[in-house]
Amino acid sequence: MQNVTENLLQQGQKPSVIPVYDDGSIWQHMSAALHQSFYRVLTLLIAVLPGILAFFAALLIFTLSGIAISWVLRRCLSWVNFDQRLARKGGADWTPSSAPTEIVARFSFWACVLLGLIIGVSAFDTSYATGTSLPISLLPYLTRAVGAALLLVAGSLIARFLARSVVISAVNAQLHYARALSLGVKWLVLVLTGAMVLDHLEVGGNIVELAFGILFGGIVLTLALAIGLGSRDLVSRSLESRVEHTGDPTHIQEMDPSSRKTIRHF
Amino acid sequence: MATASPIPDSTSTAERATANLLVLATKLPPEQFESVLAHLTEAFSAESVIVGAPEGLAAHSLTSLRIVPAPQSGAAWTLKPADFINAYEVGREHEVRAVLILGPGSDSLSPQSLRALADAVLSAGIDLAVPHYTIPPNTGLINSAILYPLTRALFASRARFPQALDLGLSMRMAERLATAARRFNVPDQGDALLWPVNEAIAAGLSADEIDAGPRAVPQPADIDVSAVLALVTGSLFGDIEAKAAVWQRPRRPPMVQRPTPAASPAGSTADVAQMLEAFRLANANLQEIWSLVLPPHSLVMLKRFSTVETAAFRMPDILWARIVYDFLIAYRLRTINRGHLMGALIPLYLAWVAGHINVTASSIAPERHIEAVATAFEADKPYLVARWRWPDRFNS
Repeated sequence: MQNVTENLLQQGQKPSVIPVYDDGSIWQHMSAALHQSFYRVLTLLIAVLPGILAFFAALLIFTLSGIAISWVLRRCLSWVNFDQRLARKGGADWTPSSAPTEIVARFSFWACVLLGLIIGVSAFDTSYATGTSLPISLLPYLTRAVGAALLLVAGSLIARFLARSVVISAVNAQLHYARALSLGVKWLVLVLTGAMVLDHLEVGGNIVELAFGILFGGIVLTLALAIGLGSRDLVSRSLESRVEHTGDPTHIQEMDPSSRKTIRHF
Repeated sequence: MATASPIPDSTSTAERATANLLVLATKLPPEQFESVLAHLTEAFSAESVIVGAPEGLAAHSLTSLRIVPAPQSGAAWTLKPADFINAYEVGREHEVRAVLILGPGSDSLSPQSLRALADAVLSAGIDLAVPHYTIPPNTGLINSAILYPLTRALFASRARFPQALDLGLSMRMAERLATAARRFNVPDQGDALLWPVNEAIAAGLSADEIDAGPRAVPQPADIDVSAVLALVTGSLFGDIEAKAAVWQRPRRPPMVQRPTPAASPAGSTADVAQMLEAFRLANANLQEIWSLVLPPHSLVMLKRFSTVETAAFRMPDILWARIVYDFLIAYRLRTINRGHLMGALIPLYLAWVAGHINVTASSIAPERHIEAVATAFEADKPYLVARWRWPDRFNS
C-alpha cells in the first residue's frame, strides 16, 4: 500500500481518490494471530487434558481403593482385638485421641489418597512435559505445595501438643507464667514450621533463613537472659526444694514441711 | 467303675484335708515376715493354713506353720498382677479352699483382722473379702475423692478401699483375678493395677468388706502426686471403660452404715492455701483445656469458687461428682491426650482436698463428708450413663 502511494507521488499525479487501506488484511492478520494463539492453547490443552484426566482418575481410583482397604483393615483388626492387644503391650504411655484400629484404618486411607495424588501429579507432569511449554512454571510448586501442606499440618499438631504439655506441667509445678511459657513454646514451633514451609516452597531464599535465625536466636537469648537474671532465685529455690523432696516425693512440692505427715494422697 | 487305692497317699490326703487356707505375702523384709508369721500363728491353727514364701525366707523362720515355696513379686505399695497369678497357681497346687493375699506392710495387720478376712471366705461363703482399714485422717485421699465414690456408684459395692492391699479370695475369685492379671503380666505392664471389686461384680461373685482395723499404708517411692493420680485414676478409668456393659445395668445402691469416728485434727492451713493457689493458677491457665472436658456450667462454677476465700472454700459434692464423670467421659472419648487429661485433673483434685480439709476443720467427721461425696456420685450416675451412651459435644 505504501508503494502504491509512493509511485503515484513520483509520477506527479495527484491521487484523485484517497486510497483505501486494506482493512481486510488487518483483520486477516488479527485473525491469523488469534487463530495461532487459539491453536496453541488448544494444542496445549489437548496435550495436557489427558494428564488432567489421568490425575483425577488416579485420585478417584486410589481414594476408592483407600476406602476399601481401610474398611477391610478395620474389620480385620477389630476381629483380632488389635486395640486390646496393643493396650496390653504398649500400656497407656501413648494415648492418641482415636483407637489404634481407627488410626491404622485412617492412615491406610490417607496413604492411598496420597499415593493417588503422587501418581496423578506424575501423570500430569508427563503430559505437561510432552506438551507445549507453559509460560508459567506452576507445576513444580504443586508437588512442593503438597509437602509444605503436610509440614504445616504436622507442625501445627506438634505445636498444640507441646503447648498443652507445657501449660499442664507448668501449672502443676505452680509456675505463674505457665500460659506465657506455653505460648512461647507454641509460637517457637509454629515459627520453625513456617520457616520450614517457606524453605520447602523455596520462597524468600536466604531472607527466610536469616530472619528465622535472628528471630529464633533472639527468643532463646531473651529466655536465657530472663531466667539468668530475673528468675535466678526461683531456679535456685526450685532446685533446692527438689533435692529436699526426693526422700518423700508423694507430697505436693514446696509444701509446708510440718504438714507432710498429715496429708497423704495414697 | 473306678476303685480307690487300698493304700492311700497319707501325705497328700493329710494336706488336702487340713490346708484350707493359703496365705501369700508379698515380698517383705525378714523381720516383717517374721511378724506376719507370728500373727498368723496366733490367728490360725498350724494345720489349717499353709504359707507361701520364697525359699530363702522360709529356711530361716522358726514357726510351726507349714511353709511352701512360692514366687513373690516385688510389690512396694500395691498388689501387682503377678501376685494374683502366683496366689492362684500355688493355691491350686495345694488344693486350698481360699487364699489370703497380704500386701506390703501387712505386718501391721492384727491377728483378728487376718482371721476375719479368712473366715469371711471360708465360713461366710464370700468370694472376695475386702478389708476396711482404719487409717489416719487425711490419708488415702485419692481413694476417698475418686476411687471409693466411683466404685460405689458404678458397681454398687460398699468397699471403702477398692484398691486394698490385702484380700481374702475364694478359689474361683482367685482364678478370675489370675485370668485378668495374665493380660497385664508382661514386662512393660508389671506395675498395672487390678480392680478386684470390679472383677467380682463383673463375674457375678459376692464381695463384701471386713473391718480390718488399723494398718500401715506404704507409700509409692520416687513418684510425685501427679504420677500417682494419673496411674491410679487412669487405671480405674480404663477398667470402667472395659466394663461399661456391667456398670450400666441398674443396681441397687449398697447399704453403707459405718461407725463415724469423731472429727479429726484439721490439716495445716498452709496446705489448704497452697492447694488452692494451685487451683486458682490452673483456673487462670487451663481454661482452654478444661473447656474441652467440662460443660460451661461446671466452668462457671469453678470460676466462681476460685474467688472464694481460703478458709471458706468448699468444693460442692455434686460439682466434684460431675467433674469426675466428665473427665471419665473425656477419657473414654479421648477428647484430649490421656496424659494431658490426667494432668488437667490434678488441680481440681487438689481443690477437692482443700475443700475436704476445710470441711473436716468445721467439726464434720471426714468419713461423713466422704460418704456425702459418694452419695452425690450415686445420685449423679444417670448423667454419666446418659453421656456415656450419647456423648454430646457441648464445646463445639
